[in-house]
Amino acid sequence: MSEPESIEEYIQSLRPLPVGHLEWMAAHVDKERFPERYKAIMDVISEKKLQAYTLGELLDASHNIDREKYPERAQRLDDEIARRLGPQMPEQPPELALEFRGKAREYFRIWIVNLCLTLLTLGIFSAWSKVRKKRYLYSHTTLGGTPFQYLGKPIPILKGRVIAAIGFLIYYASSHFLISLLPYIFAAGLIVAPWVLVRSAAFNARYSAFRNMTFHFDGGYLDVLKAFWAWGIILAAVIVMMFILPEKRAFIGIPLAVFGLSYPWWIRRLKKFIIERTSFGGKRGTFSATSGQFFKIYFISGLIVIAVAIPSGILMATLLTPTKKSLLLTYLAAAPIYIGYVVAFAYVQSRSGNLVWNHTHLGPLRFCSTLRCRDLLKLYMTNALGIIASLGLLIPWAVMRTVKYRADNMRVLQEGELSEFQGSDRNGVTAVGAEAIDFFDVDLSL
Amino acid sequence: MITIEGHYFDGRQPIGVPARMDFEDRETMLTAGPVSDRCATRQLKVSPRIGSADRFITFPNGAQFSCADHSFLNSLPQESPSEGPVAWLEERWGMALACVAIIVCTLLAGYFFGLPFAAERIANRIPMETEQSLGRQALTWLDENGWFMPTHLDVDRQKPIMDGFDRLRSDLPLRGYYHLEFRSGAKTFGPNALALPGGIIVITEEMVRAAETTEEVLAVLAHEAGHVELRHTMRSVLQNSVVAVAAAAVTSDAASLSVAIAGLPALLAQRKYSRKFETAADDYAFRLLKQKGCSPAAFASIMERLAKKDESEMGPFAYVSTHPVTTERVRRARSAAAE
Repeated sequence: MSEPESIEEYIQSLRPLPVGHLEWMAAHVDKERFPERYKAIMDVISEKKLQAYTLGELLDASHNIDREKYPERAQRLDDEIARRLGPQMPEQPPELALEFRGKAREYFRIWIVNLCLTLLTLGIFSAWSKVRKKRYLYSHTTLGGTPFQYLGKPIPILKGRVIAAIGFLIYYASSHFLISLLPYIFAAGLIVAPWVLVRSAAFNARYSAFRNMTFHFDGGYLDVLKAFWAWGIILAAVIVMMFILPEKRAFIGIPLAVFGLSYPWWIRRLKKFIIERTSFGGKRGTFSATSGQFFKIYFISGLIVIAVAIPSGILMATLLTPTKKSLLLTYLAAAPIYIGYVVAFAYVQSRSGNLVWNHTHLGPLRFCSTLRCRDLLKLYMTNALGIIASLGLLIPWAVMRTVKYRADNMRVLQEGELSEFQGSDRNGVTAVGAEAIDFFDVDLSL
Repeated sequence: MITIEGHYFDGRQPIGVPARMDFEDRETMLTAGPVSDRCATRQLKVSPRIGSADRFITFPNGAQFSCADHSFLNSLPQESPSEGPVAWLEERWGMALACVAIIVCTLLAGYFFGLPFAAERIANRIPMETEQSLGRQALTWLDENGWFMPTHLDVDRQKPIMDGFDRLRSDLPLRGYYHLEFRSGAKTFGPNALALPGGIIVITEEMVRAAETTEEVLAVLAHEAGHVELRHTMRSVLQNSVVAVAAAAVTSDAASLSVAIAGLPALLAQRKYSRKFETAADDYAFRLLKQKGCSPAAFASIMERLAKKDESEMGPFAYVSTHPVTTERVRRARSAAAE
């Protein structure tokens, strides 16, 4: 190998080599005699590693990096991002601005008027109030300057609420009086659940529109069965163990443990199912996050609960001497577990939110979500304090700032032409499924 | 003629074209780049007013024109006319304040008067036979799942209690429905007595052993009979479910923010109801006991003895945890005895 004339040429000659080879060179080059060469090799290695990341991950990293501590790394990150965004779309803007323009004062009036009408009509108005509140949130969220549109109609929502209410009544009555019926009701719930899932997803998609084009969800009952049959078997096993073989309580642990350990995988499947069955303008979503990434998030959240609960639990145990046992102290002893739970919840919300959005594509659009655990935690705490201190009157304020935080930390990147989206025919979906989700408060939002 | 500037969306691509609409008397002209179109104004549909958001005008062919809110748009045909009056209310601070006042009054009146009144009426209309079959199922379930164990009390010990209870109930309106059951409370219930639906009263042998006299056991049973006569099981189920639903409705937006405070108001409201029922059952029991020639002081003495017991002996669902022993209750029992 001839001696290269300048360090630039040396770098050029390194670029085609694989990372493994470069690392081997870095380990063997004489750092004392050739410091520039060593630096050049390390630079090329980090350049190659940066190239392996997706744009979303890079943007995420550039948002989180400590710029004062690592100015060089931050610079390299910015260079790589500029390199990727720059040459691809020199003409058109690479980003569709996402903005939430809701105001707490305005939303307060909407919230209170609708709550009042709902109470005075014994709940019947709640279908209209849902439409009004969703309409407010949608139409004050603008993407590329155009607001989203909520098109749901109150009457189908009301029908859905009535059905959901009947289902809830049956469950409530049997859990109080006819406990022997409970396993059958859980089993029926298991059979109905896939239908609720697809119906609500279809309803939400169908009645959400952007620039005069609605979203579409095409998953059916059988698709859910195909994707989630194993989950159904685990849950059925839990029900059987709980009710039909109650004397063998120890065995409930086995399906429950299987369920707990496999939970991250199921969450990934669920997100993938929803995203890849949703389409806009003929383009389906694609989802590329792996189960391992989900597992990592839930594993760390479990560690957080343990890390917070155990030390504070020990502290409480030493404070709680048997003589001065009181009700207040018993409640205080539960507080560390609750705090651990809230921290873990904020962690899961921020990390899985980022994971899901940063691995989702919709036609020419990509998303970049930069939620942070500590911001969410602060948000949840201040929301809770505000709501309690105001006896609930600050609920609309809490809703507005939460939605605003989420919108501020979401970027929509455009990698192609919007004309790739093509409008299609429309067909109606009833609101029953969507309502059942609402009433039982199962959060399926991404 | 009124002219409004905005954007035109044809529904085939999510791309807006800067556009203008000219409203003449009966006709409307749309100009969007090279396209221009005319249609009758009454065929247009305008999206509802909400906050300060842009509005959308839909053409008969499904295309849309978006523009900033303008009061003129309210005079055009509306897509959802029923939302107009609601939007009118939502825009006024006076209305918002009035709504706060109405909500507070409705919730307080409903909680203190309306709901207890309605629950009592409804509970009285539910036939005791229906309640009885529910109660039997509940007892079977409790037995089968190990909440209760068979009692080791011998018949000599049970007999005086049974006889005393027969005497207590002999004049009560629901006397035909009572059914006294002895069980062992095992680890969960400890010394306890509870009224299941339909007049089934379960007393645990731990409770019988804790009592020093039969009169004390009868005092506890009289309290449970009070729950049965006043239909407390049904009433509390009705009231608590309405409270839970109302609390969920009021705090539903907060719940979606995952702040775990939605359940708290319901819990507090339900505890207040349950204390009211306990007081009512106490009063009923004191009157019943005196009428039968027993002293309510027996109730005070057994309550005090249970309160002194160590918690570890009693289990998580002990009588004192569901029936808080307050000095207030003991005092009222003694003063009822003194009268």
